[in-house]
This record gives sequence, structure tokens and C-alpha cells, in this order.
Amino acid sequence: MPQTSTSRTAIALHHRKSVGRLTDRQLSDLREAYRAVLPIQDERGYNHHAGIHGLPLPIYCKHGDLLFLPWHRAYLYFFELALRDQVPDVSLPWWNWASRAAHASGIPRAYAAEQVGGQDNPLYSVPVPEIARQQGSRLLADEPPTETFRRPRQPADLPSAEDVEAALGAPNFVDFSNRMEGLHNWVHVWIGGTTAEVPWAAYDPLFWAHHAMVDRLWRVWQLRNPEANLDGGFLRQALPPFDMTVEDTLDVTGLGYEYASTTQAVGGTS
Amino acid sequence: MSLNHYISDPIPVPTPDDAEDGTDFSRADLEFYGVDHSGSSFEARVFFDNPDADETTPRQEDSGYVGSFYIFGHGGCFGDIGHCDIPAEPNGPFDRRPPHPLTPQKRTVVVTEAIKQFRETAGGDLTVTVVPVASESPIDAEDELFSFERLALITYD
Repeated sequence: MPQTSTSRTAIALHHRKSVGRLTDRQLSDLREAYRAVLPIQDERGYNHHAGIHGLPLPIYCKHGDLLFLPWHRAYLYFFELALRDQVPDVSLPWWNWASRAAHASGIPRAYAAEQVGGQDNPLYSVPVPEIARQQGSRLLADEPPTETFRRPRQPADLPSAEDVEAALGAPNFVDFSNRMEGLHNWVHVWIGGTTAEVPWAAYDPLFWAHHAMVDRLWRVWQLRNPEANLDGGFLRQALPPFDMTVEDTLDVTGLGYEYASTTQAVGGTS
Repeated sequence: MSLNHYISDPIPVPTPDDAEDGTDFSRADLEFYGVDHSGSSFEARVFFDNPDADETTPRQEDSGYVGSFYIFGHGGCFGDIGHCDIPAEPNGPFDRRPPHPLTPQKRTVVVTEAIKQFRETAGGDLTVTVVPVASESPIDAEDELFSFERLALITYD
């Protein structure tokens, strides 16, 4: 993917990789980062980041308009930095829900296994904080969820590679954004459980891998459509609560990352 | 849970004879305007000429299935009284707050080939049936899950 792009920085970019192709070490580092941010109860912690999207109020996430892609790009960027504060060099992986593997098995094993190595898998389920439960309880007949859960549909019901290509064929940003958000909604509904509802969706660790896939496809579309122009007024729009505008999100290399299928590295001469 | 289905009034389908230069359309969209997304999440399955379609109807061509759109629902109103009341008018010119998050949305299903096939096999006016299928989630879907203001069939040369 990056061959058509020029990096704005001489500093090495972080590569977001396909979750199905992480090395054991990369997956272990990712789990370690999640374990580290989960108990932190301030703005560096998991609950702070997950809560920005849904409960507790205010609900900041942007859906149903053109801010959908830029807002979520900024959202992932800040969460990834929070993970990296705990485990340097870790990156958010992306889940290719349109792949053959997804259509055969559904949710990737890295996120579907309840336990790994005799410990709870932090990518499987996490607790929902009390304040998000309290606010959510106003509408529910039953007790709000104490932890995230999923109720996935059949793997074959996920969007296909053809569906993705149809979205990538959109001739302009407006059309692409609408089609991409449709695929995004599809996967949320497919996952089910707490991930299917805005108030708790971002607490599911799989949320971030799903959105990294969405963000990656936007990146692919951008590379295929380098001349796509966006209105200046739109570019200047803010993305609260993040100190960013739409324009700030357009170039992922300026945010220090790129998408790759796999990465392998060895030491140099020093 | 049985949720509310929608069955449209008959919709005239354009033919090449309707075009100024006699050429057929290159794309046809079903556009749902003013779709409510304040409640729970769901899939909306769209069928042509199958008013009896329900959740069990196969999503296959011979059932009239032409595609789905998906609503990632807000999950209800979690604020105090008035928090989820959508203003009747858009923001004024000096009001820089974003639109209300529950402002109804538009959803599109591309039906280019399906419309052309419908013309060849059934012909006449088209009836659209929409079957909402809720996600299995902590929020119980309400009976009136699927609500929208207007449906349009739009074609492009």
C-alpha cells in the first residue's frame, strides 16, 4: 500500500497489521498493552477512551454524517497512543471481516478465545464501568451488562470482498463515506451483544480492530483517489473532544502510522 | 420478537421509453429518508414484490430480496428529560453547535440490476417490503423499531 505515498517524517512509522497475521510476540504485546490500560482509572485508561464513544454521557461519536471517518480516525489515534504509552511499538491491528478466514470462522481467534496461557484474554471481554451501567440502566428492563459480550451471526453473513470493492469503487468522498458507514453498521449488527449498541460498543476490544479495518479501507480509498477534493469548510471542522480538525486526519503518515499486512524486523548493525 | 414491517405503496418503475434519449439508467438507488436511529440496532432487509416477507424469508433473489441496510442504533435516551428531543428547525446561522445526534438519517440500497430484472420478469409498479431484524443485544427492540419518513426510487443516466 505505501508505495504510492510519501511519508512526511523520517521517523519510522508504526504499522497496523492484520490481526490474523500478527506474530506471537506482536499479539502478546497487544494483550499486555490492554492489560495495562484496563485498570487505569484516569484519562490514560481504557474506560476513559471507550467511554468517549458511548456512555457515560456525553456521547461524542459521529455517525450518519461525513465526520464519521475523520472522527473515528482521530479516536483510534489517541487510543493507540494510550496503548503505546504502556507497551512501546504496539499498534492496533485490523480485523479483515471480509476475508476468507472471517467468512469461515467469524471473529478471529485472538479475540474469540476466553483464555490464553491460563489467563483471561483481555481481547475477549472487559468489564463495563459502573457509571456506564448506571446511565444505561435508565432504559433497560434487565440489569445492564457488567462486562462486554458478543452474539455473532453466521460467518457467511459478514460483508464480502465484493461488498468492500463496491465501496472502494465510490467515485467521491461523500459516496465512499456513506457506503463505508453502511458496511461498518453491518459488522456492528453482525457482532451483536454490547458491540451492537452505541452506548457500550467501544468497550469491546474487538471494536478497535473493526474500526481499524474501516480506517484502513478509507486509507486504501484515499490512495486510489489522490485527487479527491474536500470542501474547505469541511476540512476545518473540529472533531470534539479531540484537538483535531478533519484536515488533521487526512494523512495517516502525518499521524505516524501506515497499514501493512505483516511486518517482520531484525536488528541492524548497531 | 416480531417487529414492524413496512410495505410501500406501488412505485412506478422507469423504462427506457421514459428517458429523453431512449437510453436506460446506469444506476438505481432506493433511498430511505428520515430513518430513525434512536433505538436499538437492526438490519433492514429489502424485498421487491413480496409483502409476505418476514424474518424467515431467505435472502435470495427468488424471494425478491434485493439487499439490506443496517442501523447502528443510539440505544435510547440516557439523558434527562429533553436530552433527546430533536429540534424542529436546523441550527441558526450563529449557532455553531453540531446537529442533534439523533437527527434522522438517510440510507441507500443500490438496486440497479434488481430493478432491471423486475421490469423483465414482473413489470408494472413495484412494491417494496422492508423487514427489520434486530440485533441480539442488551437493549430490547421495540415493536416500532423501523421508522422513516419517505422512500424514493432514484435512477441515474
